This record gives sequence, structure tokens and C-alpha cells, in this order.
Amino acid sequence: MSYAYLFKYIIIGDTGVGKSCLLLQFTDKRFQPVHDLTIGVEFGARMITIDGKQIKLQIWDTAGQEAFRSITRSYYRGAAGALLVYDITRRETFNHLTTWLEDARQHSNSNMVIMLIGNKSDLDSRREVKKEEGEAFAREHGLVFMETSARTAANVEEAFINTAKEIYEKIQEGVFDINNEANGIKIGQQHSPTNPSLPGAGGAAGAANGGCC
Amino acid sequence: MFRSRSWFGGPWGGRPKNRLSLEHLKYLYSILEKNTTVSESNRGLLVESLRCIAEILIWGDQHDSLVFDFFLEKNMLSYFLHIMRQKSGGSSFVCVQLLQTLNILFENIRNETSLYYLLSNNHVNSIMVHKFDFSDEDVMGYYILFLKTLSLKLNTHTIHFFYNEHTNDFPLYTEAIKFFNHPESMVRIAVRTISLNVYKVQNSSMLRFIRDKTAAPYFSNLVWFIGKHILELDTCVRTDIDHQSNQKLSNLVAEHLDHLHYLSDILLLDIKDLNAVLTEHLLHKLFVPLYIFSLTPAPPPPSLAVVTQNLAAVLNRNVDIDIQEIHNPRVSSIVALFLLSLVFLVVSHAPLVHALAWVVLNGDHSVFKEGAAEILNSYVEHREVVVPGFGEPNESLEQALDTVTGQSSASSYALSEDSGVESSSPAATELDSQAEAVEAEQTKLRNITDEEKQLLQKSSSAKSDFTEMAKPFLDTVLHALDCTENDYLALLSLCLIYAMSHNRGIKNEWFDQVLAKSTRGAFSYKTALIEHLLSIITQSSQPSSRIRLITVEIALELLVTFTRPSSDETRCITAAQQDLLFSARNQSMAVLRNFYKSEDIFLDLFEDEYNEMRKAQLNVEFLCMDSTILLPPTGTPLTGINFTRRLPCGEVEKARRAIRVYFLLRRTCQKFLNEKESLLPLTNVVNLVQVENVLDLNNSDLIACTVVAKDSSKQRRFLVIDALQLILVEPDAKLLGWGVAKFVGFLQDVEVQGDKDDSRCLHITVHRGGVTHNRTPLLSAKFLFDDHIRCMAAKQRLTKGRSKARQKKMYQIAQLIEIPGQMDSPVFAVGGTMATSSGGGSGNSSGSSSRSGHHRPMFSTSNRVPGFAAVLRGNNSAGVSRTQMAQNRSVEGIRNESAGRSRRRSPSSTSGSNLRADHSDRERSPSISMGSHSSSQSRENSQPRSTGNRSRESSPRMPRPRSEEIPLEDFQHSRTNSPHSRGNPSPASRSHTPIRVLHYDQLSGHNGSPREASLGGTNALLSQLNGLPREVLPVQSSEETSFIGSDGNEATGGSEGRRRGAIETV
Repeated sequence: MSYAYLFKYIIIGDTGVGKSCLLLQFTDKRFQPVHDLTIGVEFGARMITIDGKQIKLQIWDTAGQEAFRSITRSYYRGAAGALLVYDITRRETFNHLTTWLEDARQHSNSNMVIMLIGNKSDLDSRREVKKEEGEAFAREHGLVFMETSARTAANVEEAFINTAKEIYEKIQEGVFDINNEANGIKIGQQHSPTNPSLPGAGGAAGAANGGCC
Repeated sequence: MFRSRSWFGGPWGGRPKNRLSLEHLKYLYSILEKNTTVSESNRGLLVESLRCIAEILIWGDQHDSLVFDFFLEKNMLSYFLHIMRQKSGGSSFVCVQLLQTLNILFENIRNETSLYYLLSNNHVNSIMVHKFDFSDEDVMGYYILFLKTLSLKLNTHTIHFFYNEHTNDFPLYTEAIKFFNHPESMVRIAVRTISLNVYKVQNSSMLRFIRDKTAAPYFSNLVWFIGKHILELDTCVRTDIDHQSNQKLSNLVAEHLDHLHYLSDILLLDIKDLNAVLTEHLLHKLFVPLYIFSLTPAPPPPSLAVVTQNLAAVLNRNVDIDIQEIHNPRVSSIVALFLLSLVFLVVSHAPLVHALAWVVLNGDHSVFKEGAAEILNSYVEHREVVVPGFGEPNESLEQALDTVTGQSSASSYALSEDSGVESSSPAATELDSQAEAVEAEQTKLRNITDEEKQLLQKSSSAKSDFTEMAKPFLDTVLHALDCTENDYLALLSLCLIYAMSHNRGIKNEWFDQVLAKSTRGAFSYKTALIEHLLSIITQSSQPSSRIRLITVEIALELLVTFTRPSSDETRCITAAQQDLLFSARNQSMAVLRNFYKSEDIFLDLFEDEYNEMRKAQLNVEFLCMDSTILLPPTGTPLTGINFTRRLPCGEVEKARRAIRVYFLLRRTCQKFLNEKESLLPLTNVVNLVQVENVLDLNNSDLIACTVVAKDSSKQRRFLVIDALQLILVEPDAKLLGWGVAKFVGFLQDVEVQGDKDDSRCLHITVHRGGVTHNRTPLLSAKFLFDDHIRCMAAKQRLTKGRSKARQKKMYQIAQLIEIPGQMDSPVFAVGGTMATSSGGGSGNSSGSSSRSGHHRPMFSTSNRVPGFAAVLRGNNSAGVSRTQMAQNRSVEGIRNESAGRSRRRSPSSTSGSNLRADHSDRERSPSISMGSHSSSQSRENSQPRSTGNRSRESSPRMPRPRSEEIPLEDFQHSRTNSPHSRGNPSPASRSHTPIRVLHYDQLSGHNGSPREASLGGTNALLSQLNGLPREVLPVQSSEETSFIGSDGNEATGGSEGRRRGAIETV
């Protein structure tokens, strides 16, 4: 399948905040959220359209890789965007944001777009972190903020796409060096959408766009 | 997707309504059964079925165990395998879904028995070895994630599902590491995670397999890959002299650091056998043959004869030449020093760092042939020697791993030979493959191509050179410290020395001892090192030095390290060496004096640099993450290089640099003298009023005002102006006449602006101070006063307070850096140089106040133009407004009251009118002794001249703004002076010498420093406050004095400005 750009994302945050569920919810909407079932996956890709351009988002959840220093320091680099997720029903996941952010800022390239996500907004009755607190944290650290629910799919689409839009704007402004793949941006092979009959192309696109229908 | 949906939702008989149920799984099973062959028409259906299976299985894992039973019973994983193995249908479309289903399965399963069942038949391993279409990035992503997910499930129990002891099969590991060099960084990261997760499992037979069958090929390939990466980095450094491709370089460095950290993570797992193999490979395939080898002097450019020979060789058998090029790569010494530093900064595995440090410190060229055998033997009992040499492994990792799994145990020996590992017996060395022998030989002989007689002779002569140089690598490192031209190499050499001496794997004493013992005749390497460091320090203190701040900082740090007292109390430094250090400090002080200006920015710079220096702890590891230190030093900030890591650009940065060098040297000198800093920072925080402090404001000047913030919120406050601070207070509820500080800001950072439309209104901004941070101001608000008189009073006092506070600090700086003139005073000699570096604050201050007591009279008018000024003042004071006079009068009452409180006050300051009279008197009669008030005035006069002398090479001096020129008399010190301080002046005799004048008045200026002032104030008030229950800070009643001064000051300020103008026109 062809795309104008590929943006690499990472998802970071404490375990159990719903990172992989967010990811699956975004990349594969065919998995309809069911009340008592949590399914997640740690990798996914999906096509979106910004400004009439096909953009592929490739998302890597980094769960389970925190044990080694060599791993943590490398995965921030090479991502164009990061979703920093906390759980609005668990205060400690919010308290750990500073550490996550420090890590990200230390190792990532300075242009990386970071979006702060307060997940599980459907569980308002058990809320421990006020929306205003999230907003204040985001403002203080220059992040974009959003509350989402992987379960109801509220704002999930927006979170990923708004991040992509911001990256796209930075590309337009010339802030990102798009020829440097270490920035997490790849330019697609621009040879037009040839042979749509090719099973690989059609199929993958179908899988990626599954949620849109 | 559309198709699959429609199929599914279509009239398909028997589809259960409940999506998450055993029935649905059974139905999906029937679909798999019916569609064993993937075709164009059923692809969509299969994909959707596979997806639903994942959903149901996870649901079942959490809710209904029968679901899993059914899945296992029907052996549904085998259908998965069957589907993916089909050429026609195994398209990435289906495979992506298959892999996603598997991922969801293994990531989300909570039930451990379910997991065991899933793993128990060998299907998972079969899936792993399946050759997917890895060119599809989604397939690659899901596949590597699948392996990573499984590796996270590894423990001593589950390892048996993945590692087959009998067949020597471990696909999870061997398949994963094949991608160690994948172009996608996330894949590489996953591979590293998988391998580390594998090594972590405590299973001896698995680890033995790893070591015997895979370690050598994997590590040799890894090391080769890292080496190639380094050559790329080196090319980048060589070609990028102009900092053009900085992004690329910084990525290469970051990537290399990733490698090093990965290696370090493996070593930190502390698996003995594995570490031994890895250490050998790193040391003898990379560090010694590439890094250390690059420390040797580069071969001279080939002579014409050699070129011809090479040409002939190329024509005859060009292959040999190519091999040679590959086998003898070298990187520039910059890169070599940098890489070695990184090794010591990141890796702490004792055998490795010890051996490498030993090579650097003691090694000679024989190391290229023999390796660091001696030192390694002491760590590893049965080591397998790897012949040093940087070359491509004979077999790619994939080939090697295929032989492992294919031939099982028989391949063991062959493997180790392939990868260049051999047993340590000399016989085995002889059996060594020819390529390696050639390689070693070539390494030793460096650029010598063949057996030509001439060349052989050359090589032997080169050899004899080597033997004379006992420690060629250490020599190179020390030689690199030479900064005559610039500090390009020196910085990296310092980094290496720092890294070696601070590595956790190397005992500090060991390094020190080895260095101390390293002697060649009378030549001691340690002495040489210290002398090199001192030479860097000395050069850095010179004006327009080409040494970067970071270099100075590391050099000083190392000097402290290497002279650290071992057992006895004295530092291992000779008197001569210490003298060098001190004279460097004095030199840096002299350089700094050239920048001493009374412009606002100098003070801001000075304080800012001090804070920066205190904040920034030296961190060489962070420094070495910065790729820009690999490029030649540059001055331009356009490169984005941190100020300390480049040369200064422009006058302001030169001033900053001079200040910082002085601070660094001062700090180091104090370390050597075992002294504590007593004069810095300029503001003594202890004496500052803090928010919420309760203050005694009886007899203080208070101006009521309403503070209107930006958001239009209003607060009623009283404005108090302290010697250093602007304070907004609220009346205290309990104590009459006391107030609670609600806001404090430094007067020196205050900016006041009148309001065009409202004469009762002031716009006051209190900045945060410091020049480099452009942050929001501390306070920015409109102040509304009761009437325009109070408004003007406030404005005047703020403006004067600001300049007064700044002047005081400038005096302190002048004292600190011993502005000439002070130096030739005999009195000063007592407290001068010594005082700056020794003694407690109080002793010091009393010393200086005594001095000012002595000499106050003298500066008086020696360089004034009496008549001129007097006339001007007359004009001026007339113009100074009646309101002020009125204010003065009203103040007077308070002041008189407080006069009773102050222990001593100069008679001249008892009243405003007296003061003015005194002023004019003094203009005419120089010998009359005045308060410090006049001292400030005359300093004002004398300063321009002296600065003019001093700062020839600094930027032209801007005329100071008028508000700055208002010298305020120092009322405090006259209160705090000890009685003896005014005992025996002999002023008249000296009053003619302008230089002295300058000197004295600066002293007296220092005398008025806030510390003393507030100390004095504190003392004065403490007695009164004794017994008060709350924490209370007394506010000095400096307002009064400033007010008294104001008349005269305004006048002098005016006269000053015009006088200067007159001089300029003359």
C-alpha cells in the first residue's frame, strides 16, 4: 500500500493504564469493545488521511521493555509521536507522569510530539484524577491533552489523529528532518497506488481501514 | 473488510447470535475446517474468523474454560500453521491477521495453564521458524512482537517449551537474533529485548547452548556490525568539519551508545561464561584492533614507490589490496578517544574495563598480536583466546545459526573456528586459519602490503621505534592534552582520563597506582599528566584563550582527583604546581577585570554565571552523548551548541566566559586551601526577607498602595523598600506596627514606569533576574497610590533602591576581583588577597569597615570639579521639587526616632538640610571628613576614569543612565562601624592621589554591602526583639537614609552626568 508518510508512535505510561487497548481500539476497530473483555495488542498500523495525504501510523507499545537501560534509552528515539497515558481512576499513574516525561525528554529527539492521555474516562464514578489536573499538567509541560476511553472509543480516534496532525504541521514548517529516519518519519514510496489487485496491498489496507466502515 | 463483513453478516446458516460464546467458536472452527485452502474468494472470511477466534479465546480465558478446551481439543493452532504455509493464500493479508491473533492470544492470556497448553505442542515453535514475508513492515512488526511477547513469558518452567535440549533447538532466540541488524530500529530494539530476556533465564543447559553454539557467531557479528557503524561515524566526523550534518552525526552517536548500553546490559546480567566470550570479542575484535590501534600515529602518506607498488598489486591481484583495506581500518584519533571514553563511561564489567585500561596505560604494540592476555587471565580461568583483529566474520550470523540448528553437536568445533575463537594452546594458534594469521600480521605491520624487501626493512625499523616507546598509547593520550592550537583533542583526551579514573569497574587506587608507577627513567606519567592539566588551566586563564569552558572544568576536576591526598593530609602537589594554579587564578581575575563594567548587564551576568556554575554539576557521561564535541571547536551559537561546549561569541559571551573561568579557578583554589566560599553568592540568602515573614515596621517608611494585577484583581498592600528587596506587606493581625510580607522581589530587578494618564499610578515589573532565562516576570502590576506625591516618592525610592542595590553588588565584585588600585594599598594587603579567599564574613567585613573608616575622608573631592558641580547642584536641588522636601521633612521625624535606635550615626546625616549644606561645603574643602555618603559620590567620579584605563579592549563604555548614577550614602555602615575603625586617619596626606581615591572609595563601597548592612541591622535589632515568640526579621530602616541622600544624590547625579558630558567635549 502506498502512503505519503509513515509516522512512528510509541505509547508510554504505567502498566495497566490501558495502553494496548487504546492501540487496538485505534488500529482495529473490528474489535468492538465489550463490557467485560479487555483485549490489547502492542503493535498496530493504520492509514489516516490528513490534508488529502495518506499517512500511515505505526504504533509500538513498549510494554515489558522497561527492565533494561539500553532498551528504554533507544525506543524513545526513532518515534515521531508519543502517547503518554495515565489512568484517571488511579492517582499513582498520574503521579508517575513526571518520570515518564523526563525519560522521554531525555532520550527522544526534541521535536517529538507528546500527547497526554487520561484513559478510562468511562469510569467517571471511580475517578481519582480530575480533568483539570490533567489539563494543568499538560499546559505546564507543553503537551496536548485529552481524556479517552478505550472501552467506549471516546476520543481514541482524535488522540491519535490530532497527534498526527501536529507532526504533519511540524513537517510542513520544516521542523522535522524527514529524510532522517531516526526521527520516526518515513517518506512513502510515492509510486502511486499501482496494482491494487496485489493481495498484500489490498488486504493490509483493508485491515488497517477496517474501523472506518 | 467490506467483503468480510457482508459475508459474515449475510445469510449464513448456523451463525450463533452471541459473538462471545463457545457456540461461536465451534462455528468458526467449522469455517476453518471447510476452508483449508486459502483462495481469493475466502480470504476475507478467514481473516474475520481468525480475528473472532482471538476475541473468543480471550473472553474464554477470562470467563469460560470450555472455550480453551475446545480450541486445544480441535488442535486449532495446526490450522493456523496450515494456512500460513500455503503459498497462494499465505499473503500478508491473512498472515497479518494470523500474527495479530497470536499476539492477542499470548499477550492477553491470564490463565497460566491455558498458556502452558498453548505452548505444549510444538506449533508455536513451528510458527516462529516459518519464513514470513518480512519485507512487509506490518508482518515484520507483528512477527517480532510475537517473539517479544513470548520472550516475556520465559522463565525456568516455560523455557522447556522453547528450548529443546536434545535437538539443540531454540528458535525463539535464534530466529530473533537474525534480525539484530534490521533497518527498522523498533525491530532491533525488540531483538535486544528478546535476547536479554533469554539470557536472564537461569537455565544452565540453555545458557550452555547459548554460549557454545550461538555466542561466538552472534557476538562476532554484533561486534563487526558495531565496528562498521563506527567507521561510518568516523567518516561523518572527517567530512563534517563545518557542523553541517550534525543531525546525522548525533544519530550515529546515539545509535552507538545504544549498542554499548546493550552490551553493558548483557554484561550486567553477570552470566560468567557468556561474559567471557563477549569480553574476548569486544576486546580483541573491536577495542584493541580498532580503537587502540587508532591511537597509534597514522602511517605516513605512501611514497611514490609504494603507490606504484600498490598500483602494480592492484593490477595483478586486486583482491589482496581490498582485504588489506578492510583489515586495517582506523578511525581518527578524535573518534578513537571518544569511543574509548564511551566504553569507560558505560561499561563497568571489571575484566573488560580493567584489561582495556591496562592496555591504554601499559600496553605497547605487542598487544595487537597478543591481546591483553595477562590481565584477562587473572579474571577468566579457561579463556578462549581470540586473536586480535577487526574483520568481518567469515560467516554471516544467519549461516552460522543455520549450521547450529542443522548439525547439532557436531558443529561445535567448526563454529568456534568460523568465528575466530580458538583454544589458547600455542599449537592451536598454529592451526589457525590462514586468514587470521595474515590479518594479525597485517595489523602488526600496519600498512605494509607484501614481502617486498624494502617494505620489510621499513617495517622492522618501525618496529624498533615501537620498542623505544614503552607506552605508545598513553603517550598519545597525554600528547593529545596539548592545547597550543585548540582544545579539540584535549577535551576528548580529558574525557577518556576522566572516564577511566571514574569507572566503577576499575578501582580508583588501581588507576592511580598504575599511573604513578608508570615511569620511564626520570619521567613520571602522573607528573606529566598533572603538568599537562596545569598547562591547560594556565592557558585557559589567558585572554582570548581558545579553550572551552567544559575543558577547563574537566581539567580542574581531574587535577583535584589526581592530587587527592592518599593517606596524609597534604595534597600530592608540589609548591611549584600549586603556584601555577594560583597564578592562573590571578590571571583569570586580571582578565575578568577588563570586563568589569558598571552596566547593568555585568552584574546580571556575574550572578547568573555563578548560579549556572552551581547548578550544573559536571557530568561527563552527558557530555559524551553530545556528538558536537567530535567536531572541531566552534564559536558560533548558531550551531545550537551549549555555551560551555563552544568558544565565546561576542563581547557579552567573552565576559561570561571570563567570569566563569574565574569562578572555576576560584573554587578549585579554595579546594586546595581547604577553604569555604565566604564571599559568593553576592546575595546572602540568610538575610533576605521571605514571604510570610513577620516584620517590625515601626519607624519604617511605608507607602500604602493598591496592587492591580494583570487580571484586574486588587490587593491593598504597603510598600516597603529594604536595602536589597522590595517588600509588599499586609498589616499583621496581632502586633501593631508589624507586617507580614506577601511579596518580595529584588530591587535590582525592578523596573518602574510612570503612567501617562494617571499621576498616582506606577507600572512596576519585578523580573526574575539572570540574563539567560527569558521567563515571565515575578510580578508585573499596576500600583495605585493615594496621591501623586506618594506615587512620586515610591518611584524615586524604587529607582534609587535599584541603583543602590546594584552599586553595592558592584562594590562587592570589585572587592572580589581585586580591581587594581585596591591592590597597592598597604591596608588592603592585609585583608585583600587573603580576605577574598579566607576568613569568615564577619571578620572580613569588620576589616573592611575599619579600612573605610580610615580613608573615608580622603577620596572626597580629589577629582571633582568643585565649582562646576556645586552650581549644578544648586540648580538641581531647586528643581528637585517641593514635594520631596516635604517628604523629607515628614521622614525626618521617623528618622530622628530611629536615630536613637541606631548605635552610631554620622553627624552629617542628622538632617536633610544639613546634608545639603555639607555637600556644598565639601565641594570646596576636600579635607572635611564626611560620611560614606560622599564616598559614593567620589567613587562615581573616579570610576569612569579608571574603567577607561582598564577596559581598552572591552566594548566601549556606555554612559550610565542617570538613575544609576545616584550614589547613595551608606548609612548602615556608619552604624555598624566598630569604634576603633575611625580612630586614626591621616587623610590629608593622601588625598591627592587619584588611584588611592579610587581604591578607598571602592572599599567603602564594599563596606556598604548588604551583608554587613543587614548583619548590622540584625544585631541592632536583635536585642530589641529578644523574647518575641514569632520568627521575626528586622527590616533595616534604610529608607530614611536613602531619602536623606535623595536630595543630594539627585543633585550629584545631575552634576555627574553633566560633568561627564563636559569632559567629553573637552
